[in-house]
Amino acid sequence: MSVAAVTQQQLEKQVGEFQNLQKEYSKAVSSRSTLEAQLKENEMVKKEFDNIKDDATVYKLIGPVLVKQDRPEAAANVNKRIEYISGEIKRLEAQIKSFEEKQEQKKMEIVKLQTAFEQLKQ
Amino acid sequence: MASDGPINLADLPLQQLQAVKNQMDEEIQHLTQSYAQLKQAQVKFSDSIESLNNIDGRKDGKKNVLIPLTSSLYVPGTLADVSKVIVDIGTGYMIDKSIPDAKDFYKTKVTFLRENLDGLQETITQRENQYKGKRSLAWLRRRN
Repeated sequence: MSVAAVTQQQLEKQVGEFQNLQKEYSKAVSSRSTLEAQLKENEMVKKEFDNIKDDATVYKLIGPVLVKQDRPEAAANVNKRIEYISGEIKRLEAQIKSFEEKQEQKKMEIVKLQTAFEQLKQ
Repeated sequence: MASDGPINLADLPLQQLQAVKNQMDEEIQHLTQSYAQLKQAQVKFSDSIESLNNIDGRKDGKKNVLIPLTSSLYVPGTLADVSKVIVDIGTGYMIDKSIPDAKDFYKTKVTFLRENLDGLQETITQRENQYKGKRSLAWLRRRN
């Protein structure tokens, strides 16, 4: 096999890997935005819990049924959720950053291979 | 931003210009979609206020309502208690609220959404103006 063919094969392999990285990257970005929306919603609920009167009744929607809930318990639940979601967002952010770095690396490799390939063709 | 970056758009080959255009198309579409969704949510909250106004202060004997079983079938009913309503505050939690409190809650939501809508509208207009400049550029290039 000629050197050019080998280079081309390598190039194709790298491009494939790059595309996979891109796919995973956009998946991470979209799940981050979903989590951010959830965080916003939970924060709003928390704000509402902080503002209500003590005698107000809290219900939770379980399936189609409204169930009465203990207020402190519900508030604690929301706080816990906020904590969890914030943690998840942090985790995803780290992941996104590492994907960005990996993509950058791959891009460099591809450019290098491409130049080599062009030269071989000539 | 592409417009003030080091890359001069006039120097880009037509193909890349097309890619930039597609990206902006997508962005504007996304923004317009978000705008429509926010608007919808705002209408929903306004409707809730309207309904509260309707039942607020109804005296005994004026509590008759028609309850929809389907969108075209109703049965007559009577409101048992109009002093309190249950409000959905998000993530599956509901809270008992007096009618004035509930109205305040929805009013805050509507104002919050209006602020967001105004900001979004501004962004959309901005993007569209940027986009117009690029489109004429692409058009010019195609003629050359």
